[in-house]
Amino acid sequence: MPAVRADKLYKIFGRRPTKAVELLADGRPRDEITSLNVTAAVIDVSFEVQPGEIFVVMGLSGSGKSTLIRMLNGLLPHTSGTVEIDGTDITKLGKSELRKLRSEKVSMVFQHFALFPHRSVLENAAYGLEVRGVPRAERETKAREALAMVGLDGWELKVPGQLSGGMQQRVGLARALAADTEIILMDEAFSALDPLIRRDMQTQLLELQASLGKTIVFITHDLNEAMRLGDRICVLRDGRVAQIGKAEEILNDPANDYVANFIEDVDRTRVLTASSVMEKPIPVIDPGQGPRTALRTMRDNQTQWAFVVQRDRRLMGVVGESAIAEAVRDNVKDLSGLVGSAERVSPDTAVADMFVQAAESSYPLAVIDDDERLVGVIPRGTLLAALATPDAGDESGADEAAETASAEDESSHFAESASESGADYSGAEPGDDAPATEGSRR
Amino acid sequence: MSLISYAVPVPRVPVGTTFEAVIDWLRVSLGAFFEFVEMIIEACVTTLSTMFTIPSATQFTLLAAAFVAGGLLAHKHRRPTLIAVAVWAGFYVAELAAGLVSAVITTLPAPLFLWAMNLFGAEYVYPPLVLALLLLAALVAISFTAAKERPQHVTAVVWPFCLLVILLLHFVVGVQLSLIVAALLSVLAYAVAGWGVCIFSILGFLLIISMDSWENAMSSLALILVATLVAVVVSLPIGVLAAQNRHVSTAVKPVLDFMQTLPAFVYLLPAIAFFSIGTVPGVIATVIFAMPPGVRLTELGIRQVDKELVEAGEAFGAPDWQILRRIQLPLALATIMAGINQIIMLSLSMVVIAGMVGAGGLGNDVYTGIAQGDIPVGFEGGIAVVILAIFLDRLTGAVTRYSPAARAQRASA
Repeated sequence: MPAVRADKLYKIFGRRPTKAVELLADGRPRDEITSLNVTAAVIDVSFEVQPGEIFVVMGLSGSGKSTLIRMLNGLLPHTSGTVEIDGTDITKLGKSELRKLRSEKVSMVFQHFALFPHRSVLENAAYGLEVRGVPRAERETKAREALAMVGLDGWELKVPGQLSGGMQQRVGLARALAADTEIILMDEAFSALDPLIRRDMQTQLLELQASLGKTIVFITHDLNEAMRLGDRICVLRDGRVAQIGKAEEILNDPANDYVANFIEDVDRTRVLTASSVMEKPIPVIDPGQGPRTALRTMRDNQTQWAFVVQRDRRLMGVVGESAIAEAVRDNVKDLSGLVGSAERVSPDTAVADMFVQAAESSYPLAVIDDDERLVGVIPRGTLLAALATPDAGDESGADEAAETASAEDESSHFAESASESGADYSGAEPGDDAPATEGSRR
Repeated sequence: MSLISYAVPVPRVPVGTTFEAVIDWLRVSLGAFFEFVEMIIEACVTTLSTMFTIPSATQFTLLAAAFVAGGLLAHKHRRPTLIAVAVWAGFYVAELAAGLVSAVITTLPAPLFLWAMNLFGAEYVYPPLVLALLLLAALVAISFTAAKERPQHVTAVVWPFCLLVILLLHFVVGVQLSLIVAALLSVLAYAVAGWGVCIFSILGFLLIISMDSWENAMSSLALILVATLVAVVVSLPIGVLAAQNRHVSTAVKPVLDFMQTLPAFVYLLPAIAFFSIGTVPGVIATVIFAMPPGVRLTELGIRQVDKELVEAGEAFGAPDWQILRRIQLPLALATIMAGINQIIMLSLSMVVIAGMVGAGGLGNDVYTGIAQGDIPVGFEGGIAVVILAIFLDRLTGAVTRYSPAARAQRASA
């Protein structure tokens, strides 16, 4: 069961909302219904948020994202459609039931913190529990725990005015955490902070999320923030959903020009990870093979390098063509002295973090999983191609595709040699480990 | 020759007579209600003004008891304190109703009380005083047994001691009550507003006493305090409602304008019709004249509270009254206090007009001055009003500093 579900949700401000909903449901754009003297803030929005997920709603100002988040906890009444929290349709709840639901299931973090200036940090953090009627001693213990979680122990007795912006928002976060609700709504929670602190807060939120596993609906206008935090992202435009998907899907496969325009300025190197840009791990050779076989494999694949992997695909290292050719000339029988160490990255490493390693090594980067098995390789050219936006990169993309095709042609040959050498590559399709790889090549 | 007249006949609308008819009707049908209101207000004003002019030993004792009880409540010893006060109240009512305590006292041996009665110069044992002393003793006992806090022990010693000093000063040494009350008010000024205001009030009150206006000043003060209390009690809820509801706000606004602009003398007319000559019409007229800023500033203060804070309360599921009490009112308190301050200032300006309808006090002095061309009397009355005004203004202004919002602001500055 999804933690939050919105179905065909509409919010129309004005006197004749139902008529406007009918027109909008027919697909009329928002501008055409201005004659009705209504403002359509949210139009036909449907999505599901799974428990433990960070769901980011992203849009420019006026896209209806703040209205949307306020409908998820009933602060704003809906015009039509349904909102379900844990399977309960909140649009049908009465006032007091709605209050109960808010205090027990959904807490909120605000853009401008919304801390009560006349209460101490501790009392602020304990507010959610105070509303729920938890006795003082108990709620203060929980509030202290929440404050410690966000790194504010020792500040309990200050008032919010004595804290910096970042610290104030930590109190706001602690208030939501102390309320101990499954769902946290965050309305542009970090937008009022300066960039460095914003980044710290994002990191802290991700760390907390890793241990707490809350369901978070996060509103932002900052695409980089959305890409960084969101397990999935919903792009809103003029009140309608433009696209919902994972960060990489949106980046590599924008649903329309609007989204494409939007993502132009995104720092792609921070969003794309090794797994989304890596290529098939070819060529590889077995440590048992001699330099002569290794040289043939490299020539067949037209590369100057080959990775050395064991039968269980664990990476041993990398060999270069020149060294191998020399060894063949000197009639060396064993590879062992020739294997150099490869620069390794994990599938989750951001592209931005790979440049230094790529510069230090003359070979491609090896992408290895937790068990040190080789799952992909990233040549420098691929790394650079990943920086190009899908539109701008048409030409290079075509080249890349051609390359891939030729590589695939040869892979059949390679597969033969692999089966000859006894290595089992049946599970080595990069698609298994990196579902987005195909998208990145498009 | 005949001239054609272009005069358009405008019918006479009987506004005045209708008003009179309405008043008559109200007086007949709601007579009991007005009598009740009159009784309450009258009682309050008389009690307060006797307290300010000729406070009895009982009142001093109760004052000391109130301070000790306040300390106990501040340290969260609610239950024993409330029990003691409730027992006292029960006995007090029983005494008033049936003379129960007097009956008990007369059965007790006289030497038990004689020393105290001699001290206070009383010819007989005055039961309420005995009750008040017992209450004070009980509260002091509670302070030393139940309360562990040192400050409370100090409180429990200091106030009975002050009481003793005051009683000795008056009943044994023979210092006038006016000086003692002036000193107490000055101490209050020091506690709330600091040295400057304290010194001003000492000098000001001495001037009033020397002008022989003390009793009038105190009866005016009592009238103002009662009028302020009534105005605050009425205007706060209206202001809160107006802040919450746009329709109430639009409905209330013209009424407030009307109340403020209608010449004060005009609503003395119905006030006299309902309550006849005396203090009560003065209080009622004052309340009506002074109320509008209370309503307006309460509404403004609550509307000024950051919307996001109210939304935060709602987002955590707080009911409306809780948002009002814990978020809106504390944050609006400074503005609301400014409204109360305005109420007090406007009440003061009504003192003279209230004097005209026989409310007594300083207004009477001024009115006499005008009516008889007696410049000294009128001027002295006026000066006394100004001193009272400054005293009350500084006091209420200083109270704002104790609001939680102001305290937080100071802490963060």
